Amino acid sequence: MVWALRATGRVIRWLVLAAVLIAAAPVTIVTAIAAGTAWLRGWPPGRLRRAAAAALLMTLAWAVGLAVQSSGRWHRLASAPWHTWDIAWHDALTGHLLAAAVLSAPVAVPAGLIIAAGLWAWRIYAIAAGLTGRAVSAPMIFDTRQWRRAARTAKARAAAPGAVPLTDARGRLVIGTTIRAVGHRWRPVLAVPYEDLGRHQVIIGASGSGKTTLMMRLWAGWFTTAWQRYRAGRAARPLLAVLDCKGGPDARTKAERARKLLHAAGAARVAIWPDEATLSLWVLPPAALATTLFQMIESGEGSAAFYADVMAATVRLAINAPGGPPTSAAGFLDRLAPGWLEAAYAGRPAELAAVAAAQPHLGAIALRYRNLLERLGPSLDGPGQLADADAWYFILEGTAEQSVAEAQAKALTELIAHAATSRTSPPRVILLALDDYSAVSGKVPLSNLYERGRSLGMGVQVSAQSWHGLGGDEDERYRIAATADGGLWLLRTPYPQPVCELAGTRKVIESAHKLTGATWGDEGTSRLQYAWTVDPDIARSLAVGQAAYIHAGGCTWVHIARARPSPLALTPTPAPSPVPGPDGPGTRPAQPIALPGPPPAPAQPPSPGDLDDAFTPRRHP
Amino acid sequence: MTDPFTTLGLPADPGLTTEEVRAAWRAIATATHPDRPDGGDPATYAAASAAYTALRTPWGRSEAYADLTAARIPHPVPPAPTVISRASAPPAHLLTAARWLPARIHHGRPARLALRLLAAAILAVTTAISGAGTPAIAGVLTGIATWLLLSARGDLAPPPGR
Repeated sequence: MVWALRATGRVIRWLVLAAVLIAAAPVTIVTAIAAGTAWLRGWPPGRLRRAAAAALLMTLAWAVGLAVQSSGRWHRLASAPWHTWDIAWHDALTGHLLAAAVLSAPVAVPAGLIIAAGLWAWRIYAIAAGLTGRAVSAPMIFDTRQWRRAARTAKARAAAPGAVPLTDARGRLVIGTTIRAVGHRWRPVLAVPYEDLGRHQVIIGASGSGKTTLMMRLWAGWFTTAWQRYRAGRAARPLLAVLDCKGGPDARTKAERARKLLHAAGAARVAIWPDEATLSLWVLPPAALATTLFQMIESGEGSAAFYADVMAATVRLAINAPGGPPTSAAGFLDRLAPGWLEAAYAGRPAELAAVAAAQPHLGAIALRYRNLLERLGPSLDGPGQLADADAWYFILEGTAEQSVAEAQAKALTELIAHAATSRTSPPRVILLALDDYSAVSGKVPLSNLYERGRSLGMGVQVSAQSWHGLGGDEDERYRIAATADGGLWLLRTPYPQPVCELAGTRKVIESAHKLTGATWGDEGTSRLQYAWTVDPDIARSLAVGQAAYIHAGGCTWVHIARARPSPLALTPTPAPSPVPGPDGPGTRPAQPIALPGPPPAPAQPPSPGDLDDAFTPRRHP
Repeated sequence: MTDPFTTLGLPADPGLTTEEVRAAWRAIATATHPDRPDGGDPATYAAASAAYTALRTPWGRSEAYADLTAARIPHPVPPAPTVISRASAPPAHLLTAARWLPARIHHGRPARLALRLLAAAILAVTTAISGAGTPAIAGVLTGIATWLLLSARGDLAPPPGR
């Protein structure tokens, strides 16, 4: 008897539901299509909600039309929905399906979409919590399948040129299309606030994972927004400094690509060091110059500390000599001679005593510096300055000549720090990008540079091929990664656990079911569990161009779009006339950058031989 | 002095390849060389050769571009939030957007956009002849226009400066 009552109740319930679904057939159809599409394309419920919000415009236009048609007779307006529904059914039953569809669409589309969003959200929750699914493995299968579909959809969307501009209308940096958001609000594209690049960011990704694509996009996007702010008078002129610390032919290719992108983003001059442009180390303030020169040489510890002290004192004497610091490498080396120092400090007994004490070592010190400066070449001995260009791409041969690259990195980071604090040149908004910096971090530990950048107000972006490439020991790695308040980018890497730990966990519901034979019984328990915000298994198996953006306790998985600045940026536009008046940063004429050795662009006209095939002897009279 | 890009009839683009620059120079040089039977155009030949000399390396192109843009960069002036500028901003913005639209279509995905427009047009015509009454037709047409506006953005090239 009880069984029969239950069965009857169940049947009645299904019949009522069927009646409602049929009565609201247009809504049912829209809901089914929307939920099916979301399932097939890996959309999150948020996407359906956004579509429903946009579709409300239909309802609004329809309501306005009704209001106009009813001419202020409110009872007609109030009964219009029901009346319209009635007519739609009548049209459908009399074979006018098109009219019925149009009549019901203004209400059915947004209603169906929002219902589909709710149902889809419930389905995802139920599957993830283990409340539904035919097999025990349903949550895993569902998650894997939906990831695959979402990734495919994101990749297709990233190919649309207008979907992923370098920056959005609010100046945020568009990175790519969203695959999945965990703890972050889902949006079709991931846009990072410009201010986040003014802080610190860490990028970890194996070779070939799309790290360069991501970094290029970040540089171009940052420069685009910074340049627009500068043009609007809201910020100082931007300066991007990229240290490519591995070098080699790949670095040259990357530099050329970066140059094209940055030009398109607005940069007037992009310098590639040391191939095309030089800098002068000697513009550093005397104290910084002395420290830098000392640190550029391996001085050792323990018993070698005595010689290190002698060397430091000698360098200080040479730099701080009356008459000002040296202006070139040759000038500095000249000063390391006993005669020069004695002449310079004539009449100053204390300094002369120091010179006398250092005299037995001066020859060795001079030899070491001559060797260092010769190995460094002319790239740090030119008259160029950081202020001469909008972007610098520094290529350090960290793989081929590590000791030279380390010394160069020390000098360059000092020059950049000097540019950030200099009171003699116009202020610049600086982003310092360090690509594989661990290859040259012998002289300046990355964590030191990181902290220094923070104190100088520079944005610092650090990239490494793995967690271990971030620093020399675990402590340093955690110091770098844990202070990345601008966000942490994780691309495919075989060891993502430390980053996943930093990203934290989230609360999830896990349900256990009693098994009856091979199937689930009707008893079970649910409990609160903690799951990774950044799933290490996903991070390990990311495809090329996929990344996790970890920030503020959440993670957005994204398909990075290749940086393609607007092709219209280079379309010739009417040149705004320069504003007369005092020289500001915008009117300062571009200064040529000193080139090492012979300039690559020869002054001679092209060789007549280039036209030999066009002007053969037969063509001469 | 005329910029070297213009002299060679090239767009002011530092991303030009050496082959493109050389081809442009060769075209002018072949037509204007002083050794031609008609005597050529020595002045144009000299100008083209000078421009080629300036642009024959990536660095040279970058430098020439920098010199060109340095003159174009206006002195940054803080925006003056006056009533007039605020009132005139939206129309000016719309006009600028409209001016760039043909170029954005051309550099975007015009075929996809055309398909999208065709689909929207067919839907709109079908809706208009459905006989469903003005309010419903207005609503559906609004929906079609919304869909077109939101989805077609992806088929356009990004606006300048983005």
